[in-house]
Amino acid sequence: MLEVETTVRGVLRDVLGLSDDRVAAFDEGTPLFGALPELDSLAVAGVLTEIEDRLGILIEDDEVDGEMLESFGTLTRFAAQKAMG
Amino acid sequence: MIEPYDWAGGREAMLRFGPGSGPVVIAALPLFEEANRMRAFAVSILRSLAERHGIAGVLPELPGTGESLIPSERIAISDLRAGFAAAARTAGGRAYSMGIRSGALLDGSVVIRRRWHFAPQPGDALLRALRRIHRTDHAPGYGGHRLPDTFLDELPECHAEPARTIRLEGDTRPADRLVPGRALWREPVPENDTALAVLLAEDLAAWIRACET
Repeated sequence: MLEVETTVRGVLRDVLGLSDDRVAAFDEGTPLFGALPELDSLAVAGVLTEIEDRLGILIEDDEVDGEMLESFGTLTRFAAQKAMG
Repeated sequence: MIEPYDWAGGREAMLRFGPGSGPVVIAALPLFEEANRMRAFAVSILRSLAERHGIAGVLPELPGTGESLIPSERIAISDLRAGFAAAARTAGGRAYSMGIRSGALLDGSVVIRRRWHFAPQPGDALLRALRRIHRTDHAPGYGGHRLPDTFLDELPECHAEPARTIRLEGDTRPADRLVPGRALWREPVPENDTALAVLLAEDLAAWIRACET
């Protein structure tokens, strides 16, 4: 789980162009979609693709919704469930 | 220095760095919009290889990419591979490939001593990424590129050949080495990372020295 969290943090940093300090402060409750102006629909596509690549998982379109992208915690939990099969 | 190279479909240009003899690194940029984000970084690696390690390098403009006059909707993977192979032949010497991201898909049909890949992206992952962009930006084409169906159909079957593989820390896939850095191919504004370029040039130089002995 910690490994997945580190990966998701790195993906958000890279795709959204955030500083190390800023993503280091992300916790479970940090809101994402709707709260980060950098996270538009094209950035979401980049985040999903990069998480897929780095974790070796596949994310289908119908799995992507507001709930999954609501916070750093929900996105990390989703990715961890996928990574652990 | 800019030099021409000829392939079966015409003439393209390549940038050459470093000495005119000895081993030479042939660089393959990623396909499509990632190429624009990685070009300056690839040049930094080749420059560092030449200036700090005395190793030559070339960066070819492949058919249908960059400054090539061939439109992207007319290219096939086989054309890109043929262009890469022709650039390697023209560069002469003992050629090694440096494939970045989906550029790692292009060194499969070239006579080359060994392969070195940074954050390689397999064809099926590239296709998923292109389709996701296509669905998201509600515009014709794929992130501004018009691509023939045959190109997209070929992608799932495109795999990287065995290579020394370097990935970024946080990437869980198999790698020979993990390096610190940001995914420059994802940055919202194209950036360079000269410290990482120097580190990768050192890795390439040490690997080439080991391959040559």
